[in-house]
Amino acid sequence: MELFLMALTTGIMVGGIYALVAIGWVIIYKCSGVLNLAMGEMTLIGAYISLTFYSMGLPFLLALLISLIIGLLLGILTERVFLDKLIGEPVLAVIMVTVGLSFFFKGMVELIWGTDTRVFTPPVFSMEPFHIGQIIIGQVYLWSFVAAIILLIIFVCFFKYTRWGLAMQATADDEMAALSIGVSARFVYAAAWSIAFMAAGVGGTLLGNINGLNISVGYLGLLVLPAVVLGGLNSIPGAIVGGIAIGLLQNFSGVYLDSYFPGGVKEIAPFAFMAIFLLFKPHGFWGWERIERV
Amino acid sequence: MILKINNIEVKYHEVILVIKGVSIEVPDGGIVALLGANGAGKSTTLKAISGLLNHEDGEVTDGSIEFMGERIDKMRAEKIAKMGIVQVIEGRRVFEHLTVEQNLKVGAHMKKKGGRSIKEGLEMVYNYFPRLKEKRNEIAGFISGGEQQMTVVGRALMTSPKLILLDEPSMGLAPLLIHEIFNIITRLQKDENISILLVEQNVKLALNVAPYAYVMENGRIVMNDTAEKLRQNPDIKDFYLGLKDHGGRKSFRDVKHYKRRKRWLT
Repeated sequence: MELFLMALTTGIMVGGIYALVAIGWVIIYKCSGVLNLAMGEMTLIGAYISLTFYSMGLPFLLALLISLIIGLLLGILTERVFLDKLIGEPVLAVIMVTVGLSFFFKGMVELIWGTDTRVFTPPVFSMEPFHIGQIIIGQVYLWSFVAAIILLIIFVCFFKYTRWGLAMQATADDEMAALSIGVSARFVYAAAWSIAFMAAGVGGTLLGNINGLNISVGYLGLLVLPAVVLGGLNSIPGAIVGGIAIGLLQNFSGVYLDSYFPGGVKEIAPFAFMAIFLLFKPHGFWGWERIERV
Repeated sequence: MILKINNIEVKYHEVILVIKGVSIEVPDGGIVALLGANGAGKSTTLKAISGLLNHEDGEVTDGSIEFMGERIDKMRAEKIAKMGIVQVIEGRRVFEHLTVEQNLKVGAHMKKKGGRSIKEGLEMVYNYFPRLKEKRNEIAGFISGGEQQMTVVGRALMTSPKLILLDEPSMGLAPLLIHEIFNIITRLQKDENISILLVEQNVKLALNVAPYAYVMENGRIVMNDTAEKLRQNPDIKDFYLGLKDHGGRKSFRDVKHYKRRKRWLT
């Protein structure tokens, strides 16, 4: 029972981090219909930037803030340099560009920060875990979860109540119609990529606090894909629920299935689940179904 | 003249010539109709004006488009929209997953300084289209075709336009609804002093609404005149209104398709 509760809480908390990265994924998809395969590398960049500033002696929150600002600028830059020319081109072409971007970003990260594992020193979150009854939770996990929830609320409000958020959703729905009433596609894409960069940066930073930071943190981007698909590719609440579901799935399969299928069942369980799930619900839980009128 | 198109040429993908020298003028606060069969280049002409052409890999390669004395044929679509031209693209393209009211709000997203507020804009639209007020919290993908068309026109109104490019507002709608929508369009033009360039397949209707019209065929303007004169024109009667020269209704019994050639086609 204790084992079950441990797996449950850790799953939920790690799921919070996955959810953050999933939000970035969803926002880009929501606005442009593009599956951004460079998401993992964007997490890396954000994480490394905050690590660099933290190592320089800045307070953690300030370092995180700087990485957010740089993420914002990088998002705008990426849109201007790589994606501006692609507005109006087929979605597949843009997806291929994001594959290229992922290699480019990875190369840049290796060039600038090298390939060794680096850790946040001194540790940001105290190693002293919280005790809730019998359950023990690491502080990192708890804060990650809180951050994810806060960001969720901010993003949902942004999309629902601000005119920029509405314009972004409108572009996702019908780019041509949005353009015809003067929505600037450049602005929408720049905003989407900036937000994605920032969300990914927070996720990467938190994850770097748990296990240290090296290039493999970038695989998080792909790991989150089942979360995004599960929640529905264009639903922010879906991304949160999907992220937590994947976190749970990973931890439970790690605890209960590892003895039957030793070695790495934790890594593939989410993907296996995603494949089966999609057979039954191809739009995910909250994805947009195509509205077809008859 | 609020809009002056001077002999433009449009190419898609740099090789396909679809508009071959079209000149159109729209007077300030007037309605002008652009008629023609499928594939004549009417929609392309509208897209050339609104700048949406660039998004389909098309380009204005010759001639000029002037809006209130300023050349706009090389501008980006969002800039043209900001100047006060809004296109209602054909096929009732609502933002399907947003509610009706959210659709309208997106129209007002580029607030101008000193312009009216979103709330005033909404009120104005609901005043013209009371039916939208009832449906304002419904998802736009699920409302009826007529209501979608109203939403799209209302959304265009929210941008406080000076010129609306209306692309086939009657497509696929019931005759009564078409009537209602056209009534509102003429009211708009009179009350809000908005100029309208109207593309229509329904020639009879268009000539009732617009005092002046152009006829397009194969990427060219082949005729332009007042609605009154066009209605009397034997070719228009024969090809577009389905009437015989002397006014009687054409019978399908004596259809001989190419008995009369379109003289203005070479």
